[in-house]
This record gives sequence, C-alpha cells and structure tokens, in this order.
Amino acid sequence: MQCAEALRVQAYFDGEVDAVSALEIERHAERCPECRALLEHLAATRARIRGELEFAAAPPQLRAAITRVLDEEVRGASRQRVPRVPLRPRPFWLGALGGVGAALAAGLALFLIIPALSEPVLNDLVSAHARSLMPEHLTDVVSTDRHTVKPWFAGHADVSPVVVDFADRGYRLVGGRADYFDQQRVAVVVYQHGPHIINVFTWVAGRRALPEFATRSGYHIACWKLGNLQYCAVSDTGWDELQGLVRLLRTSGEIDTPHRPGME
Amino acid sequence: VQEKRARFEAQVMPHLDAAYRFARWLCRSSTESDDIVQEAFLRAFRGFDSFRGGDVKAWLLTIVRNCHATALQQQHRRATVPLPQEDHEEALRSAEPGASPDPESASAAEDERRTLDRLIAALPEEHREVLLLREMEDMSYREIAAVTQVPIGTVMSRLARARAALRGKWLEEAAGEPHAMR
Repeated sequence: MQCAEALRVQAYFDGEVDAVSALEIERHAERCPECRALLEHLAATRARIRGELEFAAAPPQLRAAITRVLDEEVRGASRQRVPRVPLRPRPFWLGALGGVGAALAAGLALFLIIPALSEPVLNDLVSAHARSLMPEHLTDVVSTDRHTVKPWFAGHADVSPVVVDFADRGYRLVGGRADYFDQQRVAVVVYQHGPHIINVFTWVAGRRALPEFATRSGYHIACWKLGNLQYCAVSDTGWDELQGLVRLLRTSGEIDTPHRPGME
Repeated sequence: VQEKRARFEAQVMPHLDAAYRFARWLCRSSTESDDIVQEAFLRAFRGFDSFRGGDVKAWLLTIVRNCHATALQQQHRRATVPLPQEDHEEALRSAEPGASPDPESASAAEDERRTLDRLIAALPEEHREVLLLREMEDMSYREIAAVTQVPIGTVMSRLARARAALRGKWLEEAAGEPHAMR
C-alpha cells in the first residue's frame, strides 16, 4: 500500500522536479503521513549509503596501467597488449532513450527539470577549482600562517572566512586566493591533504539553497552555511577525506565565529 | 593525436574513480574489474572523437557497463569447462586494503559498512546499479537512464524498489541486532 504520489515524492527528493511541482509535493506531504515517512526513509537511506559505503579511489597501479595502454594506443602499438573484444557499434548512447522511453520521458518532462537551480553555482565552483589547479593559479597569498592569510582577505574579498591550519590533522593550510563569481569577490582558502588540493570557497549566502553534497565532473563538493556565509569545499579527494576537513572547519567556525557580515 | 590525448586526460581521466567503483560493484571481484576499467578507457579513447558532448561521466560509465556485459557473454561462451565457483564477495573483501587482518581495527564502523555492502550486494543487479549511480555518483535520472539504457520511468521505479528493499532488509537486521539501526 503506497501513496500514488510516491514516485513524484522520490523525484522531489532527488532534485528532479521544478519549483512549482516541488511546492505541490511539499503541500501534499504535509497532508500525507505516508509520503512524510517516505521522505524520512529516503533521507536516512541516503545518509547511510553516503556515510558508510566506501568511496574507493582507483588504485595507482590501475591508473598507471591505463596511462600505459593509452600511450601505446597513441603510438599505434597497442595491438598485442589489449585483448580484442568485439566492439558494439556506438549508437547505444544516443539511442538509450528511444522508443517507449521517449513517450514516457515526454510524460515525465512535465515535472522534471534538468539541470537543477543550484547547477550554475556548482559549475562555477568546479571551474574555479579546476582553474586553481593550473600552474601559478592556486594561491595569491602563500602562507601556512593563518595570521597572514586571514588579514589578506580583508582587502581582496567581500567576506572574511574561517582560516585555520589543520596540519596536525592532515590538512595543511597552503594559502589563500580571491575568485569572482555569483557577483561577489569570493574568498578561497586552500588546503593540501596528501597529494590533493582542497579549495574552500566562502561568500555571502544567496537565497539559493545548495545541496549538502554533490559530485560534478568527478569532483566532490560539500556545502554548508555558517551564519550568513556560504561555505563550499571542492576536491578530488574521497568523500571521507573531504568530510574530515568540513567537520574541522565547521567546529572551529562555531567556536570563534570570526566572520563579519559581507560588505555590500 | 597528442591533442586528443590531452583532452581525454582533462575530461575523462577525472572520472576514473567513478568508473572503478562502478566496475567493482558490477563484477564483485577486483582483478576482473581492473581489466574492465582498462578496456573501457581504451574504448572510450578510441570513441572519443565521436563523443558529441553531454555528460562525460555518464558516457564513460555506459562504456564500462557495456564492457562488463561483453566480458560476461564471453565468459559464458567459453565456459565449456565450468570455472571453479569462488566466493566473489570473499575474494573482494580479502583484496580490500581496508580488510587488513588486524583484528583490533575491526571497529564497529567497519562492521556497519560491511553490513551495508552485503545488503546492497544482495539487491538484484538492475536495482543495485541504479541505486549506486544515484547515491554514490550523484547522477540525474536522465544520466542513469542513458547509462543503464532504460527509460526514465523505469529508472524511477527501480530506484524506488531498490530503496524500499534496502530499507526492508535494514529493518530486518535491526530487529536481529538492536544497535544496528541508526
């Protein structure tokens, strides 16, 4: 026995509905105890999967093996190394939504919207992160001393973010940088964790809600709010490592609440 | 060719971890999944010129999935002599670096992760893959539909069934061990 709205409620939970449908579904869930329970169940399941399942990274040997295979392919010498597997012709990709699917998809398109509202910001974050990894783009102020990095932001960004060196916990403060998006000068605090760079962006929170977790182009993004500031950490580390830094930052942010309101 | 290689490196290589995770869940054995990922990257590289944009990750995972399907077919065709039926789950665990033989480190968190691993592994494959693409890889319904080659409506119903099944088993387990539920 399930409410007829169950699939729509699930789509709402997965961020696949437009604003109007979202409102309808929220109203419906207020009246329907079954759908309220469903939403709780969906959130609990997601929290458990994302919290407990291992987000394994590919082992270095595999990465190296692929690099080797591609190098050989480029040199045109891969013939004996790689087992021949008959390739299926490629239209599977474009044809995936064909036939019956198209009809169903058309029906669903009434309430599905792609991409979601938070998409532009997430894309900006990933672009800014990728840009920062290019040579000479990572930091504007290089220092592991928070008392150097923090005052630097006063003249270069519209906010003053939490800056703490967590070198003893594996997250070394590398420096700071200013970026521009969402019509603001955004403060970026750069951390290094093992071989990975983690960019932590801080700006005055807009009305748009960002998802707590997202993955775009292979980069993980964790977002949280503290006071009127929006924080987002972006990296190619595993989820657990990223969450580790987020926890440290949230805790120290709550202790010394160091930010002042953004200057408009 | 070098330019293609560089573009491939920038656009496709960042999804190696996702491809690896997905392959591991498809195969349940790490040696096999490594082969599949390697083959998938080679195919992806060869087909990269005809990739017309869109989501790179979904495109790559589609290839991983097809490589897995092809490998399965070949195995079946070759299996005139039945292969020794090994316990794949066991093989996967012993291959994991996390499953070190140090008994002291077998924490409660580790146990919970294993329980969840097992619950998810027990789902029918078509439910499992949809669930993992959604929750672990954070892909949209449309992207999942493209990877699994089914209509969006099917993605939605499979996802609902996978989540409900997981919830059901999870409650069953919790009834058995009072602390397993959170």
